[in-house]
Amino acid sequence: MSATTIPVTAETAGPRNLAFWGGAIGIGVALVVILRLIGNDYGYFAGYFVLQYVVLASAWNILGGYAGYVNFGAAGFMAAGAYTAVALRKATGLDLIPGIVAAAFVSGLLGLGTGYLTLRLRGVFFSIATLCLAVVLQTLIVNWDYVGGSRGAYIVNPLEIPPFASWGEYMFIVMLVLAILTVGIARAVEHSRIGRGLQAIRDNERAAEAVGVPTLRLKLIATTLCGALMGVAGAPLPYYSGYLNPDAAFSLSYAVNAIAMPLIGGAGTWAGPVIGAVLLGTLQQAATVTISSALNLWIVGWMLVIFVALAPRGIMGWFRKRR
Amino acid sequence: MTRITRRDLGRLVLASGAFVSPAAMGQGANPIRIGYAMSLSGGLAANGRSSLLAHKIWQEDVNARGGILGRPVELVFYDDQTNPGTVPALYTKLIDVDKVDIVTSPYATVMIAPSMPVIMQRRMCYVSLFGAGVNEAFKYDRYFSMNVAGDDIKGTYGKGFLEVAFSLPTPPRTLSILAVDNEFAQKAAESVRHLGRQRGLRIVYDRSYPPTTVDFAPTVRAIAATRPDVVFFASYPPDSNGLLRAISELKVTAPILGGGMIGPQIAAVQAQMGPILNNLVNWDVYSPEPTMNFPGVAAFQEKYRARAVAEQVDPLGNYLQPFAYAQMQVVEQSLARVGKIDQAALATDMHANEFKTVVGDIRFSALGEWAEERNLFVQFQGIRDGDLEKYKKPGTKVILYPNNLKSGTLRTPYGAPA
Repeated sequence: MSATTIPVTAETAGPRNLAFWGGAIGIGVALVVILRLIGNDYGYFAGYFVLQYVVLASAWNILGGYAGYVNFGAAGFMAAGAYTAVALRKATGLDLIPGIVAAAFVSGLLGLGTGYLTLRLRGVFFSIATLCLAVVLQTLIVNWDYVGGSRGAYIVNPLEIPPFASWGEYMFIVMLVLAILTVGIARAVEHSRIGRGLQAIRDNERAAEAVGVPTLRLKLIATTLCGALMGVAGAPLPYYSGYLNPDAAFSLSYAVNAIAMPLIGGAGTWAGPVIGAVLLGTLQQAATVTISSALNLWIVGWMLVIFVALAPRGIMGWFRKRR
Repeated sequence: MTRITRRDLGRLVLASGAFVSPAAMGQGANPIRIGYAMSLSGGLAANGRSSLLAHKIWQEDVNARGGILGRPVELVFYDDQTNPGTVPALYTKLIDVDKVDIVTSPYATVMIAPSMPVIMQRRMCYVSLFGAGVNEAFKYDRYFSMNVAGDDIKGTYGKGFLEVAFSLPTPPRTLSILAVDNEFAQKAAESVRHLGRQRGLRIVYDRSYPPTTVDFAPTVRAIAATRPDVVFFASYPPDSNGLLRAISELKVTAPILGGGMIGPQIAAVQAQMGPILNNLVNWDVYSPEPTMNFPGVAAFQEKYRARAVAEQVDPLGNYLQPFAYAQMQVVEQSLARVGKIDQAALATDMHANEFKTVVGDIRFSALGEWAEERNLFVQFQGIRDGDLEKYKKPGTKVILYPNNLKSGTLRTPYGAPA
């Protein structure tokens, strides 16, 4: 089995889980308090930008990091979530939280469907299939007038949303909760039988199957979970920007970052995508308001090249080596 | 050990005062800070960068006149990378962290719309650049649009094109429509469809195509097979080039061909297309014809063209650049009238008064669009090569509509030699 697997015994799992959830909630509360003390909305919007990538990268990691199936269609799943939220609001008037639940359901089904359709595909062929899925979805959305089609859809948010200080704070807290839940799910998968089965698939799928790992079932679970969580990352997007069009929803930067962040942080571990997303997301946000040029993807590209060449196991790999 | 006395400390303070940075002096002068995001990279960068140059020229002009309300003007801008997802954060940074006094918009509808919730929450007065019907959804009472389209795009956009078509000696009977799948093009096509039916035209071809289309030969062949009298395209720069090249290669002719093609307004496209543009009747916003020689526009274009090549932007400045300058003139004139930075008072002033700008006199409607639409329909005439010098003079992009700005007569058909 790969070097990234962490053996967890039943005796140590309980306290570790408690420490994880306690730590995550503590960090979340601290972030909200600090941003309230700073007292301007920019922190919330910048924080939202980073946290959405924590969700997206952690979701990608379940299939790409644990099972070794590289998904190039992250933007497609994310957009499916975003447009589900738009369609739900238009059809029923239901707001953000029901939109997130519906997005998880629809994108999860999409993930399950993708899993079924691509069961026989491995390696680069699976990746191309996911890329094609994003193209098919974008064409569908462009031609679906109900959600705005190529014109895009507007979502007019309320100016005040008590008890939150502002709309920005509300969006930040929603994304913070989603990020904590997603990282928690990714961690739980990693330390469960599912995670160990996925790691076996990554190392040698035929050998795993030969020793009795239910590869089909595990891959379907992974594609469903990955799709659902990517949809969750996308559902708040139209509420965040107030407007959504296909170009924005299917943006290349989501697909690139969803892959680059786990690889830089350390794919195959729950902490890797979090570190990658915080590092790259913060760098990109800082570059946008300081150097103020198209350095975002340039930074991502260079960091990816450097990490692939010098640290193929990402930042988490450094720590592993030292231990 | 040498001890620092109070006198030494005083000397140090004086000495440090001699080295105050120019930036700090600027702060001391208490500039009026105007903040915005602009696409300086990505798909909209060509127009975003040239708009920024126009804004800088306005800033230099206004500062040379002593600033606004006796205060110099400072521009604070960020690159939105043509990514709508960056826009809300950039505007919160501008307003909450940079504490700008005034905000103006990025370029184009897709970038303006994501800024609206942030602007509305902070009740800022907001002058936008080339947004199409953004405020139809938000209905924000402090939104003002620098765009010729007016309130009712469906009812007015295609009016000029059809007026030109019906000025033919033999009135047209058939119309073909082809539009790219995006916001502006679909609205334009909807307008021509609606107005064409009203005027009794039979629509013989009506299709949309995805923005990723690269081969237009089959589409153009299909349109040519229907032999329409009037051919209307609503396309964006890469598609406009593809369509015009396919039309040229297939030698398609029609009494009136053109419509709402975005691309032929831009210098690079004019240089590439050369004589293919001859007799094309197309939507536009500005042409250097005597009828549009508004006060200040020639001076602005002279300054713009002197710097455009070095800044690697559109060398002519015949499209949105004068409108970017005018966008800031609206802010300037309103501030001068109100006499202080008061968002509510600025909005009231903008609703109530007329503005004298380099693109003419403007008044805003209740929705913040131009009270009177001014969609131009121009015809490219007498073009034999891709040399851009002729586009600086009258007679190349002749205005056919509206009548009060008309500067030439229609030549027909499209496809005839120059």
